[in-house]
Amino acid sequence: MRWFPVALTASLALALTFLTLPVVAIFINSSPGDLLDSLGDPVARDALWLSLRCTAAALAIIVAVGTPAAYLLATRAFRGKALAVTLIELPLVLPPAVAGIALLASVGPSGLLGGAIDAAGIQLSLATAGVVVALTFVASPFYVRQAMAAFVSVDRTLLDASRTLGVSEARGFARVMIPTAMPGLVAGGALALGRALGEFGATLMFAGSFRGITQTAPLAIYDTYATDFDSALALSAVLVAVSGAILLSVKLVHGGEVLGGAPR
Amino acid sequence: MRRAGVVIAALIALAGCGGDDSSSSSSSSSSKNSPVIVSAASSMTEALTSCSPRDKLQFAGSDELAAQIEQGVKPDVYAAANTKLPDQLYSEGKLSKPVKFATNTFVLAVPKDSKITSIDDLTAKGVKIAIGSETVPIGSYTRDTLAKLPPAQSRAILANVRSNEPDVKGIVGKLTQGAADAGFVYVTDVNATNGRLKAIELPAEVEPQVTYEAGVVKGAKHPTEGQDYVDALSSGACADALEKAGFGPAP
Amino acid sequence: MLRAEARTRLGTLELDVALEVGAGECLALAGPSGAGKTSVLRTVAGLLRPEHGRVEADGELWLDTERGVDLPPERRRCGYLFQEYALFGHLSAWQNVAYPLRGTDRRQRAVALLERFGMAELADSRPRTLSGGERQRVALARALAREPGVLLLDEPLAALDARTRASAARELGAVLREVEVPALLVTHDFSEAAQLGDRVGVIDAGRVVQEGTPSELAAAPRSAFVADFTGAVVLTGTAHGAPDGLTVVELDGGGRVTSTDAAAGPVAVSVYPWEIAIEPAGEAPHGSSQNRLAAEVLSVTTVGNRVRLGLAAPQPLAAEVTSTAAEALGLRAGTRVTASWKAAATRLVAL
Repeated sequence: MRWFPVALTASLALALTFLTLPVVAIFINSSPGDLLDSLGDPVARDALWLSLRCTAAALAIIVAVGTPAAYLLATRAFRGKALAVTLIELPLVLPPAVAGIALLASVGPSGLLGGAIDAAGIQLSLATAGVVVALTFVASPFYVRQAMAAFVSVDRTLLDASRTLGVSEARGFARVMIPTAMPGLVAGGALALGRALGEFGATLMFAGSFRGITQTAPLAIYDTYATDFDSALALSAVLVAVSGAILLSVKLVHGGEVLGGAPR
Repeated sequence: MRRAGVVIAALIALAGCGGDDSSSSSSSSSSKNSPVIVSAASSMTEALTSCSPRDKLQFAGSDELAAQIEQGVKPDVYAAANTKLPDQLYSEGKLSKPVKFATNTFVLAVPKDSKITSIDDLTAKGVKIAIGSETVPIGSYTRDTLAKLPPAQSRAILANVRSNEPDVKGIVGKLTQGAADAGFVYVTDVNATNGRLKAIELPAEVEPQVTYEAGVVKGAKHPTEGQDYVDALSSGACADALEKAGFGPAP
Repeated sequence: MLRAEARTRLGTLELDVALEVGAGECLALAGPSGAGKTSVLRTVAGLLRPEHGRVEADGELWLDTERGVDLPPERRRCGYLFQEYALFGHLSAWQNVAYPLRGTDRRQRAVALLERFGMAELADSRPRTLSGGERQRVALARALAREPGVLLLDEPLAALDARTRASAARELGAVLREVEVPALLVTHDFSEAAQLGDRVGVIDAGRVVQEGTPSELAAAPRSAFVADFTGAVVLTGTAHGAPDGLTVVELDGGGRVTSTDAAAGPVAVSVYPWEIAIEPAGEAPHGSSQNRLAAEVLSVTTVGNRVRLGLAAPQPLAAEVTSTAAEALGLRAGTRVTASWKAAATRLVAL
């Protein structure tokens, strides 16, 4: 059976090569000088800044709403729960173009709620708010699923203990549940952040592409690559570096546990 | 293990079968043995799909398609919505000498029930305009046209732009969805919406000359068939389809 | 003073329990798993709401289903020691103990409590770095931190290895004696109950079948279940009266024993393994033991300086003799012996 470990190693080597080669290619083709120049380019800066702002906003909404929702799904049984979970996971399997269509059909100007949104004075289409809506839609299942799994894995007696020690369920949620589930929550947040930062199709269809308002970094890359491949390359490299930095800082703060390391 | 092997073999066989349309009874302009791979500008989507259904057609902004060819992708035919991009590829030796095969009319498009009647209405505050990005032909035609207007008007209109779309389909989408109030596209795009949008012609003095060019990509797999296809764009089933869609004849 | 009553259906189990524990007293509820012991604890703590129930502790009414009173757990002053301790992994030992405390001196009070258990040096350690016994002590300190009105312990020694268990039992016993509130302890191990409880209640299938001091239960089990649970040997047979006021029992499967208890009809006969003497088969009776059964040795197990023999007579019997004696008699599987014990040590329980 000696072939088995060899096959495992070969698979890993293949996967690593396939996944890292494109990323490495980005950096090989741009010098650090190019990267800095790219940062100096106002279009690139605007795009990056917009991406970060919108992703942060989307993530804030996702965590604020998704955490209690995930907790409910993880700890209570109720009729229709399986359906609720499937519905929440749905955007995961929607191709971004379909997500764009879905958003247009629901909250777009001609969509189901379009009239009501317009009447309320809210502008989503062709506006930054629309980008945040698109990012929230596509990225939330990544967080909610991980959060659910994290809460489920927390030993229920910990909450019982907290209550017998005089701490109410609500405060126990904050003092025990969240800290204990934290590695899973952070992992979910990192996944959602990655998805939101890279979102392209749904954003383009739903919110359009305009510098400083709706042109996120991926859209800017798409806009320039045809005629200025080097700029696109540089901006891509910056985006990879930013994503990598976020991933790395998450790992450092929460130890290897969070993103795939063995539990300490 | 064995069952998996059988499944894998079946999948490979299916994949192998997949793409050969060797029917000789088609009425398309490509009455040849193998399908032609064509990269064409988005504005020709409906026309070319209907006249050459058996060929492998890819539609996107002409600039994106040109970039692919620059990077070494080799479709058989490249058909663009301007002359600049094919000529550039030709000068780099990547395309055969391009042939002008059609023209199009650059128009202002609005939803069918819009109150906008002319380009002057676009300067009003709050009008949301969608145009093409700088590098896609529709976008550069738009900017050229606006540059021909009095500076104040041009500035006001540009100030109302809310999206720079990568291709005409994106602009049309914003209009049909009600996201934008007006957009600059080709008359063929308006025709393709079957009445949902209406086209407003622009004054002759600002109307750009929109000429479509096509060529055979150097190093393509089917150069002869590719040339046939390019020829048929000027006279043949596809030429007819283009004319039906609203394209003008070659200049 | 703790008074608790609960009547409720839990799955297939019908729980029907009423108990009373005085201040400073420890009542140990002992029974097999599934008997409902933990449910009783959870009812007192407020983690389980029975269909009918009443819990009164320290003059305060915690639960009364008749009157719609049901204080949530956080409002009941219980110190609950969970079976797996339920320590908060993200907090250090002292933080765990200080969890229910408020005020700027939480840390000092927590450390002082830990010191009482000899854990002050490990105050800053995380639970995962502590041994089982150390974690148990932190959990106990945490349960006592708020000076609870009732102490609840769920299988406090079950999660410990045999070696730690002995010292932990002693320590726990000392704590229970010190603490001046009622304590309710549940366990599946009768000897643990006997060691830690002032009184023991044997619980089976949701009901307390007998309550009393450990020796009362062992000496006078009221049912075969209690006898078996307290570690006795149990044989079945039919009893009828005999001269001298004694009772003779014809054992099922053969054999006859005599008992000083009175009974008639189907009975369970119980005797403790250490009261059974073993002699080689075929020897003439001598001494005052009236009960003699021919038996075959099935197993020989060494337990410290004693040997536990599994016998078939033909009903299963267990006898305990010293290792020395076992060696001297050359006891091994297959040896034929006579098991004998006194009629006065034979308990009868009607079946």
